[in-house]
Amino acid sequence: MRLLKLIPALIEVLSFLVFPACAVAATGAELIQANCVGCHIPDGEGRLSHIANQRKTPEGWLMTITRMQLIHQLNINALDSADPVSEMVKHLADAQGLAPAESQPFRYILERRLNTIENLDDEHFAGVCSRCHTGARAALQRRNEEEWTRLIHFHLGQYPSIEYSSGGRDREWFKFALNEVVPWLTEHFPLESPAWSEWREAAKPVQTGAWRVIGTMPGRGEFAGYIEAEETAKDRYTVKFRGEFDSGEALQGEGDAIVYTGYEWRASLSLGNGEYRQVLAGSADGATMQGRMYLLDHEETGMDLTATRIAGSRLLAVTPNRIRAGTSAQVRLSGFGLEGEITSDPGLKVISIVEQGTDGAVVEIQSDADAAPGVRTIKFGGSALSPALTVYPKIDYIKVLPEVAMARVGGNGGSQTPVNAAFEAWGWSNGADGAANTEDDLRIGVFPATWSVHAWDEVAEKGDDVRYAGVIDPATGVFTSPAAGPNPDRPGGVNNFGNLAVVAEVKDGETTVRGEAHLMVTVQRWNNPPLR
Amino acid sequence: MKHLKSLNRKAKKLDHAVQEDNLEEVMAMQATAGCTSVTDPGWEVDAFGGLSNLCQPMEADLYGCTDPCWWPAQVPDTMISHPDWNADAPSAADDWRKLGDVFPKKGR
Repeated sequence: MRLLKLIPALIEVLSFLVFPACAVAATGAELIQANCVGCHIPDGEGRLSHIANQRKTPEGWLMTITRMQLIHQLNINALDSADPVSEMVKHLADAQGLAPAESQPFRYILERRLNTIENLDDEHFAGVCSRCHTGARAALQRRNEEEWTRLIHFHLGQYPSIEYSSGGRDREWFKFALNEVVPWLTEHFPLESPAWSEWREAAKPVQTGAWRVIGTMPGRGEFAGYIEAEETAKDRYTVKFRGEFDSGEALQGEGDAIVYTGYEWRASLSLGNGEYRQVLAGSADGATMQGRMYLLDHEETGMDLTATRIAGSRLLAVTPNRIRAGTSAQVRLSGFGLEGEITSDPGLKVISIVEQGTDGAVVEIQSDADAAPGVRTIKFGGSALSPALTVYPKIDYIKVLPEVAMARVGGNGGSQTPVNAAFEAWGWSNGADGAANTEDDLRIGVFPATWSVHAWDEVAEKGDDVRYAGVIDPATGVFTSPAAGPNPDRPGGVNNFGNLAVVAEVKDGETTVRGEAHLMVTVQRWNNPPLR
Repeated sequence: MKHLKSLNRKAKKLDHAVQEDNLEEVMAMQATAGCTSVTDPGWEVDAFGGLSNLCQPMEADLYGCTDPCWWPAQVPDTMISHPDWNADAPSAADDWRKLGDVFPKKGR
């Protein structure tokens, strides 16, 4: 009998010896043991030195492993893994990641919104972290005091100019960093937190299913579509993506996705002729995913999107989402499970239905001439969307976004693709007080515009920047950056840099309203980690 | 500063900004995500939120700034972290096309 009990175990051992190809590939934990323990010493509980006392996003852990390869000559031992780095990142981000509430304030850098102007004016960021890179790069990490201290030491040893470049030499930098910054970082970004403890224990949603996507992409406009996701292994999905812009232009394709830390959705998709990356945050209840997707080679070109799990009935978007008082307009309604009558608040009237289905409709809406300015609700059967449409009397002023943008020269045989820029013209109403830029102003929406670039100042005028520093599409507001390298045709052989004003002219009835943004076309960079 | 006289246009602008105590304000304005606000000299933008006081063409003095690790988050520093980054490009002005990315593209 004793021998009989051993038979299953013997079969397992023999199977492994006879059919090694059937063995499960090395796990992230095994790969970390194989690659990290040479330097990171385990304590009595098996916790690896330094690593155990940090938490990071998937991108943060990837940068750490890459730094080990680039600077510490780590040669990855793949064991039998096809993608050992990804496996290690997955393990680390799951076990030592950030809770949704911890990453939420800094998602702009995960989503590659590189024209964001950070609002981190605390001197601990401004003087120490964000004079070289984003404050978000630090704020998306969690460490204990010892590891924050080591990070300061690492920076001084690795980048000694930190003490004497501007922002460093005006104080005893090292003393300030150790005595002021480390305690501040430890307090604000601690290793242990209630948010992380709670999230670590929480049940995580599975993202398999059908999702309705609503998006907007500067230069291409509003988008409505679908994601179909199917889990093929834990946290790994195949993804189908399809939909169309309001212009009728289709965007579709497929790819795969990984979910880190229970909510960090990262998909790689081939859509049309482009390779896209999706960076979305899933909600704890599994009902939505929100974020951005962008072209891998042009991170500045991307779509803001929200995916809502298709269940029941929801009206999600009305586009365009504004109507001038006293006019009629055709708008698209998008959602799912929609049935019944389409109605609106007083002041608006649905005058015809161009097309209608359960996922949306195209309707003609009429606004009363005396309709009060403000937002309106639209109902589609039992589903209501509020705010859905903004009624406005006229456009009083235009804000061009981003207000400050950075483009970069590129191409021309060099390794860096040009960094372009895309702008949107946002119309605003002055509100009841009749004055611009006051609290009662009404943000109306994005309007089609005629775009042009001009010299930002006299120096740019004299340097003929408009001639050399790229072109803007007059219809879409998409700016294409110029070639890299010294330009022998330009006085001094300087680069094709430029200091430009981007001007949008929006037709509103018989008048034209003008708005302006600042575009700096500058030089390339050769250090492009996921978190800049 | 009272014993130093600003000679060229850039020095005069800098001197004026310091006197007006508005240098911090200028630098804060220009810091879009990931751009350095180390502006002495600057990489993407100068100390006045513009570009006219950058070293131009950039290639003319690139290695004068990568050697002392001036903007390590933007430009690979050849002092410590990436000593071989420009090994195949002895002249930045002539060989800038040979300068590559230091962070592997796959991971981005």
